Amino acid sequence: MPKREIEDCQINVLHCENCGTLDPGPRSLCPKCHSAELAEIAVPGAGTLLSWTTIRRPPTAFREEGPYHIAVVDLDAKLRVTARLTAPSPGIAPGARVLCVGTRNDVPVFQEIDA
Amino acid sequence: MTQRVSIVGIGSTRFGPQPGKGIVQLAVEAAEAAIRESGIERERIGALYFGNFISGPLTGQEVLAGIVADHLGLANIPCTKVEGACASGGIAFRHAKLAVESRQCDAALVVGAEKMTQASTEMITAALNCAMDNLSDGVSGLTFPGLFGMAWRLYEQRYGLTRAQVSAVVRKNKANGLLNPLAQMGRYLTDDEIEQSPFICDPMRLFDCCPTSDGAAALVLAADELIETGGAVPVRVLASAQTRGAARIAGHSDLCSFDATVAAAHLAFKEAGIDRSDIDVVELHDCFSIAEILDSEDLGFMPRGHGAHWAKEGRTAVGGDLPINPSGGLLAKGHPVGATGVGQIYETVLQLRGDHQNLVKDAAFGLTHNLGGTGVACTVNILGRYDA
Repeated sequence: MPKREIEDCQINVLHCENCGTLDPGPRSLCPKCHSAELAEIAVPGAGTLLSWTTIRRPPTAFREEGPYHIAVVDLDAKLRVTARLTAPSPGIAPGARVLCVGTRNDVPVFQEIDA
Repeated sequence: MTQRVSIVGIGSTRFGPQPGKGIVQLAVEAAEAAIRESGIERERIGALYFGNFISGPLTGQEVLAGIVADHLGLANIPCTKVEGACASGGIAFRHAKLAVESRQCDAALVVGAEKMTQASTEMITAALNCAMDNLSDGVSGLTFPGLFGMAWRLYEQRYGLTRAQVSAVVRKNKANGLLNPLAQMGRYLTDDEIEQSPFICDPMRLFDCCPTSDGAAALVLAADELIETGGAVPVRVLASAQTRGAARIAGHSDLCSFDATVAAAHLAFKEAGIDRSDIDVVELHDCFSIAEILDSEDLGFMPRGHGAHWAKEGRTAVGGDLPINPSGGLLAKGHPVGATGVGQIYETVLQLRGDHQNLVKDAAFGLTHNLGGTGVACTVNILGRYDA
């Protein structure tokens, strides 16, 4: 898909007001400096696919949705998130560029960007 | 002054579905066998540590440590249930070892138990997902097989892993299960059968996953002065290390490695004062086939990317240079979660006594590895023949 949606699909993460660490959250203390001064900020939803799988035996709460794809994505904002992946192409592989196209239960949903 | 600790009695039920037997009955059966084998008077047992993960949601029974001690007729000693997901049994063992080593008592009982097969798949899936950080990973719809499916895919790209290499792990462990009377399953599988089983979490298939089980295992640990002449052959506890890793997937620096395993192995070898090349037999946490490959590399037995070759070349078979999971592992022996870590030690004690049905000949040193949750808890234990 085209890159034009980058600005439209930001991801909310936690920013430590004391040391600047970014963390996907939720948590109440900064994992680096232990400050409680964590503020939610939006970062661009562009990143690189670390890996992914297809969940064919979902937990009860997600039974109606299966099968679905789960991915771990390294955001360009230098932070790693567990997320959903939508409509992966047959040849998609770790290292593919992906873009956040929305959220589901506050979990980012990524889609592959055409090379 | 610390004192040396040995395993002086062992007991275990069969692993697998045991309709009609509750978790307390299973635990008592294993513990009573261990106490009797040890020859130690039960009033000398000064502590009980009980490994269990999900008896509350699955059986409606908690405070298992005290209840089982009551059934066994133990004194009013401290009885503690510990929980660390799939590493619960290993953690219970470590705490019992510390209690004896630090002279809190001269003998301690370790029991691990789980009762799962009476529950519906929905109940089990929901209960197992209690081991995930449900503020983060849980809400995405991730499952434990899913975590290992992602690790497999990344490992495949990085090291050129083939399906046949992973199938070699499955074939080895399922065949080892045939020789273990306590194992839930055993079978000679072909690559075709494995490759035609249904996908669970691509590229992982059904035969790549361990079954849910019922079962219990128990150990009596004691100081040298309590070792009975004419009792069961004692086995030395040379090290027991426990570590924490990232609680969230995104916290792992590498999906193909668990920091907790790497750290626990480092600590355990340091405590034992032996090298990796001294280890003759390994029981490690093969909850999934790919996990055996990752774990054996994390434990430092071979360079990164070589674990899969070792399995395919037969180097991890009984008779190979490093036999891994001669019991059948979790893949074939079964995975009654809280019992697993204790069961691994039970198996290794039999190996070091020279009394295992699938024997690694002349084994002097054995290692067990128990990993919980998304790698959040790990124990690595090193055992040695009493005369080694």
